[in-house]
Formats: sequence, C-alpha cells, structure tokens
Amino acid sequence: MEQRLANSLIMTVNEKKFIENALVSDIRVDGRRPFDYRNLTIRFGSEDGSSEVQLGKTQVLAFVTGQLVQPYRDRPNEGTFAIYTEFSPMADPSFEPGRPGDSAIELGRIVDRGLRESRAVDTESLCVIAGKLVWSIRIDLHIIDNGGNLVDAANIAALAALSTFRRPECTIGGEDGQELTVHPPDVREPLPLIMHHFPVAVTFGFIGKENIVVIDPTHYEEEVMGGSLTATLNTNGDVCAIQKAGGDGVLQSVIMQCLRIASVKAGDITSKIKSAVESYNTQRALRKIKRHNPSSAVSNAAKHNEESTQVNTETKSIQQSSDTNTSASTHDVTNIGSPEQQSKTLKDAVKPKHKKRKKSTSNANAS
Amino acid sequence: MEAKPSNLVDQLVVPGDVILDLSNMANQTLKLSGGLRQDGDSICVMKAGKLRFMKPNKYWVESSQKRYVPSAGDNVLGVVVDTKPENFLVDIKGPALAFLPVLSFEGGTRRNIPKFEVGTLLYVSVVSANPGMNPELSCMDVNGKAAEYGVLKEEGYMFESSTGLARSLLSSPPHPVLEGLGKKLSFEIAVGINGRFWVNALQSSTVILVGNAIQKSESLSLVQQKIYLEKLLKSIQL
Amino acid sequence: MEYVSPEGLRLDGRRPMEMRQLRAELGAVSRADGSAVFEMGNTKVIAAVYGPREVQNRSQQINDKALIRCEYTMANFSTGDRMRKPKGDRRSTEISLVIRQTMEACIMTHLMPRSQIDIFVQVLQADGGTRSACINAATLALADAGIPMCDLVTSCSAGYLNSTPLLDLNYVEDSARGPDVTVGILPKLDKVTLLQMDAKLPMDIFENVMQLATEGCKAVANYIREVLLENTKQLENRRGV
Repeated sequence: MEQRLANSLIMTVNEKKFIENALVSDIRVDGRRPFDYRNLTIRFGSEDGSSEVQLGKTQVLAFVTGQLVQPYRDRPNEGTFAIYTEFSPMADPSFEPGRPGDSAIELGRIVDRGLRESRAVDTESLCVIAGKLVWSIRIDLHIIDNGGNLVDAANIAALAALSTFRRPECTIGGEDGQELTVHPPDVREPLPLIMHHFPVAVTFGFIGKENIVVIDPTHYEEEVMGGSLTATLNTNGDVCAIQKAGGDGVLQSVIMQCLRIASVKAGDITSKIKSAVESYNTQRALRKIKRHNPSSAVSNAAKHNEESTQVNTETKSIQQSSDTNTSASTHDVTNIGSPEQQSKTLKDAVKPKHKKRKKSTSNANAS
Repeated sequence: MEAKPSNLVDQLVVPGDVILDLSNMANQTLKLSGGLRQDGDSICVMKAGKLRFMKPNKYWVESSQKRYVPSAGDNVLGVVVDTKPENFLVDIKGPALAFLPVLSFEGGTRRNIPKFEVGTLLYVSVVSANPGMNPELSCMDVNGKAAEYGVLKEEGYMFESSTGLARSLLSSPPHPVLEGLGKKLSFEIAVGINGRFWVNALQSSTVILVGNAIQKSESLSLVQQKIYLEKLLKSIQL
Repeated sequence: MEYVSPEGLRLDGRRPMEMRQLRAELGAVSRADGSAVFEMGNTKVIAAVYGPREVQNRSQQINDKALIRCEYTMANFSTGDRMRKPKGDRRSTEISLVIRQTMEACIMTHLMPRSQIDIFVQVLQADGGTRSACINAATLALADAGIPMCDLVTSCSAGYLNSTPLLDLNYVEDSARGPDVTVGILPKLDKVTLLQMDAKLPMDIFENVMQLATEGCKAVANYIREVLLENTKQLENRRGV
C-alpha cells in the first residue's frame, strides 16, 4: 500500500477546500478565471506529420504515418485510420509502463470519435485501388508531461499533425492497370490529407456540490472535480462528439451552456492551429527552394573542377545568360515536376564555366 | 590551526570536482556537510551547486532540488497519508514516508490521540533522519511545548517549490518579493524547508497572488525580483 | 436509404418517438448477490453484482470508500457474425469504464469503506443500444443486491436520421452512421450523469435529440420502478407479511 501512496498525487484537505472556495469568488489557483484556457503553443518537428503541443504544463507529441494496406471488407474504397496512445511513465508518477490503462484508452477513443464519425479526415481520397490497396493512417499520441487536461492537448496535437502530414503520391500504371508505383518525396511532391473540418475538444470540469464549471482543468483540479464533460465541436457550429462518462449529475441547461462556451473556444483554438500550420507550410516551401538549387549545382560542379582555370575568361556576357538561367530555374523549382527535368537537361548542355558561376550566383540567390 | 579555504569556495561545482587534496594538509578536522564526500585523500563533490565555506572548517554544497533529503532539526510541512496504531505516516517529499508517533504532541497521552484524516497538513520538525530508515517527526520542540507545530488550519493553500526557494524564503535578509508583498498585503505564511509553503489570507485572491508571485520569482535575480514586485503591486493598485 | 417512411413509420414499424418493448427480470443468476436480465426490443443483456465483499487486491483498497469494478463483455454469438475478441478490446474497455463511472455516481460508496463491489455485464443479443441496456440492467442488479444508491440510473439512446429525431435506435439505424446520442440520468434528481455522442450534429438539433433521449430515460425509469415494486411485493408475500 505504501507503493500506491507514493505514486498517487497526495492532496491536502486545505487544497480541496481552497479550490472550491476560491471558485465561489470566480478565481482559480493559477490566477485564471473559470473560462480561461492556459497558454497554448504548437510546434512542429522536422518531419511532416509530427507536432508538439504545450498547453500550460501539459505536453503532448503526435506523429502521423501512413502505410498501404488492404481495406476492410465492408468498406472497400475507403482508407482507414487508427489512433494509438501512450501514457509515458515520465509524464506522471502514477503512470505505469506497459499496456495502456483505462484512461489511455478513453483518451484514444475520445479523439478517435471526434475524427472518425464526423468525417473530419476524408477517407475516400485515401483509396488507391478499390478493394485492394488503401492508405492506412496511424496517429501516435505520446504524453510527455501530465499537467491536466490531456484530452484537449492530445486532440490539438493530432489535428496539427494531420494537417502537416504528407503522403507519397502513387500512380497506377502497367499493362493491366494494377501496377503501383509509389513516388519518393523528391521525385513527386507528396500530398497533404484532405481535412473537411477541425473537430476541437474542449473539456469542462465540475467542482464542488454546486457543480461550478471550469474549463481546461489542471491536474490538481482534476483530482478534486466530481465529473467532467468533453465536447468536440467545429467552427461550423456542429457538435462532433460529447463524452460525459458518469461522475456527478448536472442539469441539462448547464450542458447546453457548456456547449455554447465550447463553440467560442473551439473557434479560438482552430484559428491558432491554422496559423501555426500556415507558418509551417511557408517554412517548408522556403526550405524546398533552397534544397533544389545547391543539390543540382553540387552534382554538376564535381565533374568540372579541372576546367576551372578557363572559367575566368569571357565571364561577363555569359554571366548575364547564366543569371537568367538561375532565375528561371528558381521559379521552376516551386512547381516540382517535369520543368525541373528540362532545366536539368539545359544545364547539362551549357558549358562547364556556367556551372561554377551558377553555383556562386545560386548561393547568392538562396541566401 | 585554521584550514586554508579551498579556492573553489563560492563557485559553481559539478559532481566529480575535487575541492581539496588532503595529502598536504595534516592534523586538521574538517566538517563536510551536504553534497561532499571523502574519497581517499581527496574531497569530491556529489551534487551540483555552489560550494560554501564557513569558518573555521565547515564545507558544504548549496543546491536546489524538487525532492528533499531529510536531516535532523529541520522544520517541514508534511501531509498525513495513513494512520497506524503507533504512528501517523506523513509524506515530506523525501525518499521514504516519515513516522510521526501518536504521542509526540504537547500533553499527548493514550487518551487524547489526535484524529488526523488523510490529507491533513502539518508543520512538524524532523527528529531523526538516518539513511535507509523512515525519518521520525515530532510536533513538539525540545522543551516539550507545542510551539508553532501542529495542524495548519483548514484554510489557505499549499504551494510546491524547490528546496532552494524554501531556503531563500527563510533566510535573512528576507526574500525581496516576500518582504515587499508583506508590507502591502496581510497574509500568513508557513515555509517548510522540504520545498513546500502554505499561505493563508482573508481573501482567496490574496493567497493566489502571493503564492504565484513567490513561485514565479524563483528564477529571477535580485534586481529582477524588485522590478517584478513593482510591476505586480502597480497592477493590483497598491 | 429511407429510415422514416413518409407516413412516419420506421423500419420496424415504430413511430419516431416510440421506444422498443422493455422487459426485465430480477434474480437470474443464483450465485450472485444481485442480478438482472434487461431486454430492449431484441437487445438482451444480463448483469450480475457481487458485493460488498472483501477487497481481493489489498493494494487497491480505498480507506474511505468502496472500490467499484466493472466488466463489460459481449458474447461471441451476440452479433450477426461471430466476434473474435469479446473482451479486452478498446471498445469494451471504454464501455466498462463508462459504466463504472456512471454507477459510481449513484452508489453511496462512503457507507462501505474498504470493500469491493463487482458489476459484470454481458451482452447476449446485440441489436443497438447495448450501452443503455447494460446501465439499466446494472441498476436493477444493484437494487436486487440491496446496495445503497442515492437514485436509479436509467439510460436510453436517440438518433437523428432523415431529419427526424428517433428514439431508441436499433442496429440497422445505428449502423447508418448517423448521430447517436446516449444519455443516462438520475430520474428523481433530473440530472444528467452520462452523455455520449458521435457523428456531427448542429447544436440546436442536438438539444432536441438530447431532450428526446431524456424523456426516454424517464419512461425506462418508470418501468424499472414498477418492476422493483413488484419484486418487493413478492418478497413480502414470501415472508408472510
């Protein structure tokens, strides 16, 4: 029994009473008002489809990966997606390693329900060959730090990761139309997932006998609360999912009031996610431009090092034409595809000294 | 004969640093306290922190952690987690739960054992703390009087901090934020050296303000703390 | 597919606001301290309650309350195709958790510290609304076992198809992938303790559907009360009062 005592959160009687009393005067222990969210920061990893969300002290990571599999028998032309949660023992002293416990499964089901039944992710576009091959998307949620309200943070992380995930483009070819080629990312630009809307989860806690409602409870408030309600809504005014699994009973009017507040908060959070995804996409596009110029110059520069002495003569007129060449190639780079191939062949046709010039000018352009 | 202080005094040290070589110092007694150990002829550092020296011969490393290493004579804030026939089991953020004998209260006899429910907050002193054993606590001072020890009223809120912040709250000159807030607001505060402090005031908003201000000022330097305090008092118009 | 005909009849001939037929029986499992069978149309569920008894795992003992455990399983033969994994999968674990938390809200756990109450619920025939049937069966079984409760918990589900709110969905209507709202209430206190919803619904329509489900819960509560009163009368007769 001492083991269990050591692992669980020990709340003093003072803390419980204080939280309830302070709420009567509309103030919470960390200085927030009852309907304020904590600070939300969304960051992205280096790979597409990975995100890290920090909501106050709670930290969650999400990773999205895709694989080609056979579809389910009753849904032959739709892709699938599955959510896996891992409550890392480093997040909270009471999390045990090994199989996910009840709360881990409940969190996974709430996020899953919000995305699946409301058709947030378009599964029909994930079909490659009907009945044979579809994309299966796997979302992994890792809880790094439990500061309370894991559901909301995990949901935001999942949405952010899904928005930045790119799956490789595949074309069907071959004689019988059944042969599949999956194009690697540097040959064909990978495609994003189609998201119809963003279902955002908003969690409320009911504290005390009068069932005072607080939004985004910290883990101290979670220990004290008698019941909780998680409402998943989108900005179109639709309710996507609700989970109130037992706990203290509340009046219907309170539930409707919570839903109205939740729709306002969902709008805030959706705009934050969208702006974070926008800035990530712009950064990604910038990185792509830099990536193509040096790589093409480097591959050709190696061949022509020995002819560098001849390069210095007749520079000016040819520099003009090489400048236009580089500007043309940078414009071409933004829409990847066959134009890239053409400029490569043009470069090959051009004399060696242009490569060396171009390398310095392309570096100047990129920097 | 006075020992020549090590040249690392008042500097930051990390585990493994050798602060003194005993081979060229004979016939001296040194007192080593927390964070230092003797390894043959050299004194090595165990914990990262600032090395301190007090005349004539005391050395210790000052560091700040979230968990507490119990040592005799400290005043700590503990939470009751269980009751046994002979002891209360109290959590003091140490490696093991501490025992508080049911009789170590002023005028405590078998007939008037206090009834503490799980979750009661106590201000107690550590009587003995041997490594590997559960520490022993007491609610009496050396004379057998209750002094300040005992249950903290069921109001107020307990905040967690690090041991370093608790020490600076108890030190003199007093902590700038604590002193500044104390001049303008009225509240009572109990600080346990194990990294917990309890604040009580008439209004919940005062408690929350004081507690959060102290927690946030931990990572600020003295000058920054004064600036933070001014801004805070201005924003609540005092 | 048309779920509500133009005359206003559903696929099984019910009106949109009509519940399926309810049937309940107490004392089905003789070894259990309390048990009940609950049928809502073709959905049949059996619940057994053991307790309050000694906690089996000393480390999980709670000093001031009773420990409630709940296990939800579906029999292999309960659905059309034979199920591969009747328990231990995520859906069953989540429903077990939901039922446990719902019953914890109404059982007076502080009257039985350091003890354990086990609720086992098994679905024998699944035709939609299994969650609600399980909660109703668990309420009856707890009452049969004489465990102190502050109020009954009754539950009912409702949906929204062809622009009509429908009460008590069956399997065909449930698998239409339309909205499915399950509500559990404490009837005397008129408070909502369980609320689960999936698929999309605009907020004002959701309010109507939730209201409809709550009405259904109250109807179930009346039926359960009748069954319990009937049962108590029989017990009195046997005692010769």
